[in-house]
Amino acid sequence: MKKLLALVLVMMLALTVVPSVLAEGNVLRYGMETEPAGFDPHTCSSHASIRVMSQVYNQLVDLDENLVVIPEIAKTWEVSDDLLTYTFHLADNVTFHSGRKMTAADVKYSFERILSPELGALGNSSSYAGDIETIETPDDYTVVMRLKSPSVTFLSNVSSIYCSIVDKDVVEAKGDLLQADGGTGPYTLGEYVPDNHVFVNAYADHFDPAFKASFDAIEFYTMTDANSRLNALRAGTIDLIVADTAMLDLVKPEDPIQEISYQTRDYFALFMNCTRAPYDDVRVRQAINYALNREEIIDFAFNGQAAVSGFVPASMGHWAVDVTEKDYYTQNIEKAKALLAEAGYPDGFETVITVGLNDGIRDIGMVVQQQLEAIGIKADVQNEENATYIDKWKAHDLDIMVCQNGAGSDPNRGVAFFFSTTGSANIQNYSNARVDELCVLGAGEADVDKREAIYKEAINIILDECATATVACPKAYFLATPALQGYAPNASSTSNFAGVTIAK
Amino acid sequence: MRDYIIRRLLGLIPILIGISLAIFIIMQLIPGDVVSGILGIEQTPELRAMWEKKLGLDKPLVEQYLTWIGKAVTGDFGESFRTGAPVFPEILSRFKISAELAIMGCVFAWIIALPLGIISALKRNSVIDRIVRVIALMGVSIPNFASATLVILFLAKGFNYHTPVKYVGLFENFGTNMEIMVIPALILGSVMAGSVMRMTRSSMLEVLRQDYIKAVRAKGASERVTIFRHALRNSSIPIITLIGMQIGSLMGGTVVIEQIFSIPGLGQFTLTGINQRDYPVVQGCVLFIAVLYVLVNLLVDILYTYIDPRITYN
Repeated sequence: MKKLLALVLVMMLALTVVPSVLAEGNVLRYGMETEPAGFDPHTCSSHASIRVMSQVYNQLVDLDENLVVIPEIAKTWEVSDDLLTYTFHLADNVTFHSGRKMTAADVKYSFERILSPELGALGNSSSYAGDIETIETPDDYTVVMRLKSPSVTFLSNVSSIYCSIVDKDVVEAKGDLLQADGGTGPYTLGEYVPDNHVFVNAYADHFDPAFKASFDAIEFYTMTDANSRLNALRAGTIDLIVADTAMLDLVKPEDPIQEISYQTRDYFALFMNCTRAPYDDVRVRQAINYALNREEIIDFAFNGQAAVSGFVPASMGHWAVDVTEKDYYTQNIEKAKALLAEAGYPDGFETVITVGLNDGIRDIGMVVQQQLEAIGIKADVQNEENATYIDKWKAHDLDIMVCQNGAGSDPNRGVAFFFSTTGSANIQNYSNARVDELCVLGAGEADVDKREAIYKEAINIILDECATATVACPKAYFLATPALQGYAPNASSTSNFAGVTIAK
Repeated sequence: MRDYIIRRLLGLIPILIGISLAIFIIMQLIPGDVVSGILGIEQTPELRAMWEKKLGLDKPLVEQYLTWIGKAVTGDFGESFRTGAPVFPEILSRFKISAELAIMGCVFAWIIALPLGIISALKRNSVIDRIVRVIALMGVSIPNFASATLVILFLAKGFNYHTPVKYVGLFENFGTNMEIMVIPALILGSVMAGSVMRMTRSSMLEVLRQDYIKAVRAKGASERVTIFRHALRNSSIPIITLIGMQIGSLMGGTVVIEQIFSIPGLGQFTLTGINQRDYPVVQGCVLFIAVLYVLVNLLVDILYTYIDPRITYN
């Protein structure tokens, strides 16, 4: 009986172990960590959705990895001296996936859809298209947009996927684009089986040879289990997967797997409440900066895989300020103690560090707690459940709060959004008249060199006043078969597969 | 019997009202909401207000509940907040996948557990009995997420194999569908097999000790007839109760297995719904599973009367 049972079990297993199926044709199989939540570029913001929508839709303009605006649907553009009028000259060979020719009327329709009060489009805010006042189409291939207030960031704002150009006919026929394809991109939306896969297929008539599809199809699979994702890659059932630092340790040198990474534009930082004692004293904030050993934090929280960074990270190119040159980014316990004593806290004090949301934030909180002990500060780390954490964030209810922020694609967001007196995300209640003035100047200055000087001055003031103690800029990771060649994601474009190949 | 079934079905009504209320309240209480999920860091008060209006979340909770439950009784579970797709047809198509997995799991469990449980009882305290008991204990105590993870690792490292990632329906391509489903079903079945094996053994032992078995043997019935016709039938009441309960928990067990093997079943649908705070999806799924659970239990109760004619419900 036992033998029989063993035989049956072995046979069952043998039946299932057949050689793994190789992808047919020239196909990229991509294992994602979450399920996309719809495919309407105007209303869907999940990472997984964006990866798919990036293949299906185009915008007027795009950003290259150095944040320089490059043409996409608009081949050229002019900006009026008062920074209020933007004129776009469109390519005349753009077609929607339905085959219909795209004209200026479609661009007008797309932005009107974004701005409509009923849709709740993600692009309907001043970070994107929200500042548009009027849209005119003098001819089929020219669009003139007039803004409510001068803006130098408008071009980079409308490079967002949230400002995609969509097919009016499809929207009107289907009601929305959540499961429909109204795009002009290099791939068309194909088979979708929720919680399992969504395929995009090459669109032969795409207008721009530089972005032409290099695969017959890209197959996106939802594989929420990290172990399953990694082993599917090992077995050759998948070509590319989304990874994290914990997964990297599981990859052995003998595994036929290559690691691909890029520096994100996110950063982790300690925000200190500048209007609450003792953090209203700049010396205390400086002391905290001196007390931190950022390399140690990175080793613990990110397995050493992150870069010491300011709040305008190196991945923002020429806008970034190298914080490692700052004295207070090197640990100096004596100096920290001296500053605390000078501020009237020779024996330190008690404080609360609020953490939540993700492991990176929590791990940083724990290491910082230990490092602050060395200068006599006894910190109570309060690990809040997400909703409470966000409530405290909104209410600016904090001593020290560890946060993960996105610096955006323009220093206007990285600086003004977080550090100007009225900035929406200025949770540390920081206020400096010169910084406010520079933020206004920066937003209205068209000359890149002058803007750079303006923002660098602001960044240096904020750093020197220690309005925050930034820690690190993390990397994003992918693992892929060694046969995958030419995939070089960066913070501006994580899902550009133009020119990417899989060697057979 | 007919009256009994009608009575039981009527009893469903308060249960479903209770469950629907509970799940509605729980979805409101869990932190984070669908609008925050949709807007992410782009959230502004104006955009928030637009979305709350669009999704009907600006209305009073009581009104929201009544609207939802009013439609639900007609089989309209609303539309997904995220994908815009109607929920009920999606639940049905996902249920087919989960049901296939659960049924295959059950069949594997019975194939393994019933014979082994019977042998174990007949050869009590023998070597075979001890081995079976250890296997059963392992089945019960190794959680399926652990065995699934180990199996995936073992197959990838040892055989360079992973189950196909692209889901194919049973009637689309039988071979590929089986290749996708057999391993997850075996893992699902192994947990269930452990407890069925233990229950079969103990209830067989109890029946075998009874006087009428002695009488059957005394009248000269063969061992096969004694066991399969007389002993097994009487010991199957607790086994069927257990299986009935397990079919319910199997729907829960498939959540983990579906996630690990990327099978787009009902469990995965519910879980994605929860993660995306997609209220109509979660509420619809939970209500559907609840109805299913109650119906399976009713079926088990009816089954008792066929196995043991002494049981009546009048």
